Amino acid sequence: MINLAVRDIRHSLGRYLLTGLGLGLLIGVTLTMAGVYRGMADDAQTLLRSAGADLWVVQQHTLGPFAEPSTLRDDAWRSIRSLPGVAETGNVTFLTMQVASGERRVRVMVAGFEPGRPGEPSYLVAGRPVMRSHYEAIADLQTGFSVGDRIRIRRQDYTVVGLTRRMVTSGGEPMIFIPLKDAQEAQFLKDNEAIRDDRSRLAENPEVNRPGVPGLLEAVGAIQTSNRNVNAVLVRVAPGWAPEQVVESIRSWRQLQAFTRAEMEEILVGTVIERAARQIGLFLVILSVVSVAIVAFILYTMTIGKLKEIAVLKLIGTRNRSIAAMILQEALGLGVIGFVVGRHAAMLWAPAFPRHILLLPEDAVRALVLSLVACTVASLVGIRIALRVDPAEAIGG
Amino acid sequence: MAEPAIVLEGVVKRFGEGPSAVDALKGVDMAVYPGEVVGLIGPSGSGKTTLLKCLGAVIEPTAGRITIGGRVTYDHGWKVRDLRALRRDRIGFIFQAPYLISFLDATENVALLPMLAGRADDEARARALEILGVLDVAHRAAARITELSGGEQQRVSIARALVNKPPIILADEPTAPLDSERALGVVRVLRRLAAEYRTAVIVVTHDEKIIPTFERIYRIRDGRTEEIAGEGRVLD
Amino acid sequence: MALATRKNLLLGAAALAVIAGAALFAAIKGPFAPVQVSVAAAKQAALKRSVFGIGTVEARLAYAVGPTQAARVLKVRVDHGDAVSAGDALAELDPVDLAERLAGSEAAIAKAKQLLRAAEAQLREAESRNQLALANASRYRELAHKGFVSNELADGRLGEANVTRAGVDAAQATVSAGQRDLERLARERDATARQLRNLRLTAPVDGVVVARLAEPGTTVVAGQAVIRLVDPNSVWVRARIDQARAGGLRIGDRAEIVLRSQQGAPLSGRVARIDIQSDAVTEERLVGIEIEPRPAGLSLGELAEVTIVQPELRDALIVPSAAVKWQNHAAGVWRIDGGRARYHAVKAGAQSLDGQTQILEGLQSGDEVIVHASAQLAEGLRVKSGGRE
Repeated sequence: MINLAVRDIRHSLGRYLLTGLGLGLLIGVTLTMAGVYRGMADDAQTLLRSAGADLWVVQQHTLGPFAEPSTLRDDAWRSIRSLPGVAETGNVTFLTMQVASGERRVRVMVAGFEPGRPGEPSYLVAGRPVMRSHYEAIADLQTGFSVGDRIRIRRQDYTVVGLTRRMVTSGGEPMIFIPLKDAQEAQFLKDNEAIRDDRSRLAENPEVNRPGVPGLLEAVGAIQTSNRNVNAVLVRVAPGWAPEQVVESIRSWRQLQAFTRAEMEEILVGTVIERAARQIGLFLVILSVVSVAIVAFILYTMTIGKLKEIAVLKLIGTRNRSIAAMILQEALGLGVIGFVVGRHAAMLWAPAFPRHILLLPEDAVRALVLSLVACTVASLVGIRIALRVDPAEAIGG
Repeated sequence: MAEPAIVLEGVVKRFGEGPSAVDALKGVDMAVYPGEVVGLIGPSGSGKTTLLKCLGAVIEPTAGRITIGGRVTYDHGWKVRDLRALRRDRIGFIFQAPYLISFLDATENVALLPMLAGRADDEARARALEILGVLDVAHRAAARITELSGGEQQRVSIARALVNKPPIILADEPTAPLDSERALGVVRVLRRLAAEYRTAVIVVTHDEKIIPTFERIYRIRDGRTEEIAGEGRVLD
Repeated sequence: MALATRKNLLLGAAALAVIAGAALFAAIKGPFAPVQVSVAAAKQAALKRSVFGIGTVEARLAYAVGPTQAARVLKVRVDHGDAVSAGDALAELDPVDLAERLAGSEAAIAKAKQLLRAAEAQLREAESRNQLALANASRYRELAHKGFVSNELADGRLGEANVTRAGVDAAQATVSAGQRDLERLARERDATARQLRNLRLTAPVDGVVVARLAEPGTTVVAGQAVIRLVDPNSVWVRARIDQARAGGLRIGDRAEIVLRSQQGAPLSGRVARIDIQSDAVTEERLVGIEIEPRPAGLSLGELAEVTIVQPELRDALIVPSAAVKWQNHAAGVWRIDGGRARYHAVKAGAQSLDGQTQILEGLQSGDEVIVHASAQLAEGLRVKSGGRE
């Protein structure tokens, strides 16, 4: 038996392939959007995983340090360290800001860490770890910096000594790691003009600038320009202890909020990424509807163009079933071509995308199934028309 | 004479219901014998097309009886359940325009019918090639329909009508776009094939060029037919 | 029919090629691909140990010269940048009423002297009376003894002698008091004079004026500095070194100093002092670095980056620091074992500032360790080495 679908496709191969290509690009965009979401969730996971912490301790009543601002004293770690089950702690700060290198300005998240403690990036793709206590930085590949570059953060110049990969916030900003003290200064120290302004305000304040107490003005000024805060304390739990136990003791006994890594992931994915996820979900729905509509339209057009031939086929004895099968096969063929084109297109252009795109095999399988289902649904329009054709229309006219 | 290939007795076709109903056929009697080429003429609006559709087992008469090949297929209700199979096996159609399937090549267009009837692919193709040869278009067997000339297309469509060797062939204005030379050529072919394959051919036409060639003609007027003698002009 | 089959074969082949391409893509680039890593071999080499810190240029010996009591600045004789010698007048403060008080003291002293003279005169008078009374008393005693006068009379004269004796004592006491008084007033006068002298600020040592903090007319309180002096020979760099890295520091270690204002021209120096008291809050050790040779024109308060060089470790087993991972103060490296990553605990020693770490235990020379990886390593993860660094 001749396969009508194959013959028909071969007859108008160019148009068919072009349609498949167009559909494929749509599917590629859909896959890319899904990949963006996965990438964001993956970034969140990678960030948390590479911090090497079992627990994140933040300011009480906050969801920080990413979902909300969180500020802790930098000696809070001492009271945490003494709790049973705590093996190691590390102070960290996070601040999103612009850094400059030559003419380039890049928006990054500057993270302060203590070398050798949780918070230090756990693997490098080039260079070496930070060895000096100040003015050295580790940058993520996505910043575009290379080992040896000089970058300016606030008022200091740093030398990039190492590079990381995939250290990106869920918002897509690449990270730069610098020693904690430098980060504290960068986070809270203002620029020179602001400092001078503050100093002169202090000098005008008669409470502080008192003649009877020499040195008071300088002391208050020094307090103003020093920073003793961090955004979070990372905790590594001792072997044999469950993070959940230690989390409870921190929450109960230390007036601090603490989250396990799983809870942090939920917060990041749930609150920080949530809105983006909804937007992407909406996009996916729209794209899917558009794709189905396009396939339906194409099949409708192809069927309309064959109405006479369908009538003739029915007249000479072709079953309804065969004609429906032809249309369905053409639709599924489009779906397969579209999927293949889309998958490859997504893989090809993903590296050029500014966001991290993660394409998982299960997503591809899902995309294939959905394409086929969508194309089947889309074919119903054409099939309905084809089935309603009256063979008598071939006669007369 | 042998048994008629198709007999219509008192076939009525009513469209609509109640007072606004229209009787397109008001009681048609016809009989066509194997090997015959019979003309069916009549003005437009006379029910010619409706009659053709009844003959072609495409629409259901309202009343009457139709017998094909000695077997009653309609007697106030279709006895044969599958009209499609009936059309496939018993009736060959030749249309005004070739109405070939554009995405199949010449052979495939013709071979489609035996395949639909259940023949194996190679057998169907062999039969198709054979009949194409009979019609002198075998050399164009692999050509796409768009590559064929008008005449070649028509011959392929005739081949398609014949490939299953159906007992009845219905031709609807087969010579309308042709000049007299070609038109007569078509009639010649039909006559030859009718004789060779013992097929009953009914040609619906208003083409003055070929009407004289029929030996018997049915004229339909106002939903009724009458048989009139044709000239039966001989063609060489 | 042959044509159809060939076409089908071609289509089938094309489809297979596409599927194969996709599979290959996934295997190489996708989540199934092994993680790319680079390795390096542990080698025996010299390890340059050095420690980094930042510090500020300070003067070790700095003096804040000011009055010991509230006063108003009268005259400032020096300005920023002036070199002074020990004893030079720096500023003068208004004595206000001190001069009057001094005069008053002098007057009081004069008066006290007069009073003393009067008391001494009184003493002489009392003594002479006493002598007379004593003589009388002894004469009458003799007379009484001889019976020429009554005993009562003799006792009476004795009594008078006692009275005059008391008078002498009293006068003596008065004289002493007067002397003490004089002394006291003299001391007070001296004190006032010294205070007066203090209002004349002088340089305690040879040095350079770095700040002129009050102008004539300003009232300053006790302890407030009017002039700040430093000893220019005591200018050094006070550096802060992380306690974690400060373990091997010794006095005399060579240091390289890069000043903020001269970033391309490092200076050399040596560790002169390691403070006993560390900064507990910032967890840093405070180290004093002498700059040798000391350049002119050092600016106090300028930021400096200090690298202290410690004796080189000959023949240490070293690996790139990027290969050493720390957990709970324990070190480890990742190695490739049968295409998979495995974690090995090691004991790490010194580190160099250019990114080499000494391995004390756990590795042999030539053992390969994973230095860089394109993804997080986990025990048993499939990895593929991209070659040695």
